[in-house]
Amino acid sequence: MSDGQRETTPGAGLVKGLATTLKTMVTPSHTAEYPHRLPELPPRSRGVIGLFEENCTVCMLCARECPDWCIYIDSHKEPVPPARPGGRERSRNVLDRFAIDYALCMYCGICIEACPFDALFWSPEFEYAEYDIRDMTHERDRLREWMWTVPPPPANDPGAPAPKEVDAAAKTAAKAEPPRSNDAARPQPPWEAGDDGG
Amino acid sequence: MTAVDVVLLLLGALAAGSGVLVVTTRRLVHAALWLVVTFGALAGMYLVMTAELVAWVQVLIYVGAVVVLLLFGIMLTRAPTGRSDDLDSGNRPAAVVGGVVTCVLLVTLAGYGFSSAYADLDTGRLGTARAIGTVLFRSWVLPFELLSVLLLAALVSAIVLSRRRES
Amino acid sequence: MNVAVEVAVRVVLVFAAFLLFPLVVGYMEHKAMAHMQGRLGPMYAGGFHGWAQLVADGVKFAQKEDIVPADADRTVFKLAPWIALLPYLLVLVVVPVGPGGLVGSDVDAGLFYALAVMSVGVVGAVMAGYASANKFALLGGIRVAAQLMAYELPLVLSAVSAAMAAGTLSLGGIVGAWRPWWLAWQLLALVVFLVAGVAELRRPPFDMPVADSEIIFGPYTEYTGLRFALFLLAEYAGIVVVSALATVLFLGGWKGPVLDAQLGWLWTCVKVLFVAFVVIWLRVSFPRLREDQLQRFAWMGLVPLALAQLLLTAIVKVAIS
Ligand code: SF4
Ligand code: SF4
Repeated sequence: MSDGQRETTPGAGLVKGLATTLKTMVTPSHTAEYPHRLPELPPRSRGVIGLFEENCTVCMLCARECPDWCIYIDSHKEPVPPARPGGRERSRNVLDRFAIDYALCMYCGICIEACPFDALFWSPEFEYAEYDIRDMTHERDRLREWMWTVPPPPANDPGAPAPKEVDAAAKTAAKAEPPRSNDAARPQPPWEAGDDGG
Repeated sequence: MTAVDVVLLLLGALAAGSGVLVVTTRRLVHAALWLVVTFGALAGMYLVMTAELVAWVQVLIYVGAVVVLLLFGIMLTRAPTGRSDDLDSGNRPAAVVGGVVTCVLLVTLAGYGFSSAYADLDTGRLGTARAIGTVLFRSWVLPFELLSVLLLAALVSAIVLSRRRES
Repeated sequence: MNVAVEVAVRVVLVFAAFLLFPLVVGYMEHKAMAHMQGRLGPMYAGGFHGWAQLVADGVKFAQKEDIVPADADRTVFKLAPWIALLPYLLVLVVVPVGPGGLVGSDVDAGLFYALAVMSVGVVGAVMAGYASANKFALLGGIRVAAQLMAYELPLVLSAVSAAMAAGTLSLGGIVGAWRPWWLAWQLLALVVFLVAGVAELRRPPFDMPVADSEIIFGPYTEYTGLRFALFLLAEYAGIVVVSALATVLFLGGWKGPVLDAQLGWLWTCVKVLFVAFVVIWLRVSFPRLREDQLQRFAWMGLVPLALAQLLLTAIVKVAIS
């Protein structure tokens, strides 16, 4: 601030300070009394990571990408009977354990970015404190429960191009392949359950 | 002996006792704190003798300012929390002699000088602010002003002394 | 017998005021400060807007471990909180609350009594600073002493201005002589008195001696539990005392717009709480002064102002008499 801009009346700054505090005192305060009033979190809040098990192929990419090595995944292979009679038997990975140690997790979100199968999601839930640091490793069931708290993604900005996956889905639909039978039985993420076609 | 006399004597003993402790204690800061007790006891004595204003001024100036100044000086320069045995200069006999002589001198002088001055504490309110103010600015105004000039001179010289090195 | 009962009642009343008012002011500080910073302050203790927060704090302090540092000067260390607190109780005794002897004890030189006893409280803080055997406490103690020496003079001078205007040293007498236009006449003295009083209490913005961001908590660094609580109580009692003195000396004490005789005590309480609010307000609004600024402000700002006010008081006094 240059000297020219400085106020010249002595004590004007003092009065201004008093006025500011007085004005703040008579305006309502910003405090939200948390346990009684839950905060309104913005979309994409990084509260906890939910696992949508049905999408997970146990590719281990998330565990490998995690900078903290705090994702634990165990799995085994199971044979899948041949699709057509006489065909070759296939195998697939079955998830045995999926756990995230939230005492180590630094909420970087790399695992979620890395997952190529849309199995990991941010949930805004944050009230999962524990009394022991060892209890901070949360297993698959808990991660699945959190999955149902994941909010729908916020709408795109008006005029923005449609997301790539929507385009891709539209193209696939245009090819009009008949849906495979086991697709219908698969559970959907909560926000997709209602409007399948959209 | 009336109750007032007893209180006066007790306060006197307290003042004298804490005064002795001021010079004999081995802890520098304790000496200053005992001085508080001495001044407090003196103020109490003034109170008993109905000299209210003098008592409160005594507390205000001596306890509130002079002792705090002393403590400030001690803490700024040495601030020992424990005992400081180097305080004893080994001049005890001389100090005792000096103290006794001063005491005798003062008592005799005061006794002779004010032997005819009596104040009846029961009737008039001699120690009120009004009474003291009247006496001070009527009968004793010259000594009072002289004293203030003396203090002013001390003040000015202190400033001069502290500024001498600057030039 | 009658006299004894009356004295007992007065003592109990003063003691009750001594216990109650600092808590009220403390609660007001919690709340006013919070709202001035856009917060709510305590909301839970006691149910309604956290009114019992300070009681809860007191219980907490009472449960804490009682620690005396190994190298501390034990006696002085333990004595200091009481020396810091009790003078304020003794001052409250002479503060007139209402007309017609509604006062703990009417002392003739009440003004000097109040100022003298108040200045003793500072010795408690200096003792605490010395006895803790802690360099931060020592620094704080030195600063407390320096601050007292600087601000005692303007405090006394501005108070004397009110006494001069009223022609008496009795606090009740000063209120009796007070007229509303004195507000203008003694305005400068009021400001100087308040500023010096806040400084003497080591309240922000004059809280260099206890500046927590630099020297932890100054003289109180080593204190915990009840003794620490006593120091805190002393601070709030100090606010009450300074506000009460400012009310009595400059704001007309029990004189209000209506019903002075019946509602005098209420006017006094309202004024005291208002001044206490201003003290809190200052704390929230202004940043802390540096040590050299503190000294410069006292000696080159407040003392000349107080002297100028004395001159003005004398001139007006002579002119109207
Ligand atoms: S958010 Fe980051 S740290 Fe946490 S599990 Fe995912 S990759 Fe690991
Ligand atoms: S990256 Fe996705 S699909 Fe692969 S293991 Fe992790 S969660 Fe499962």
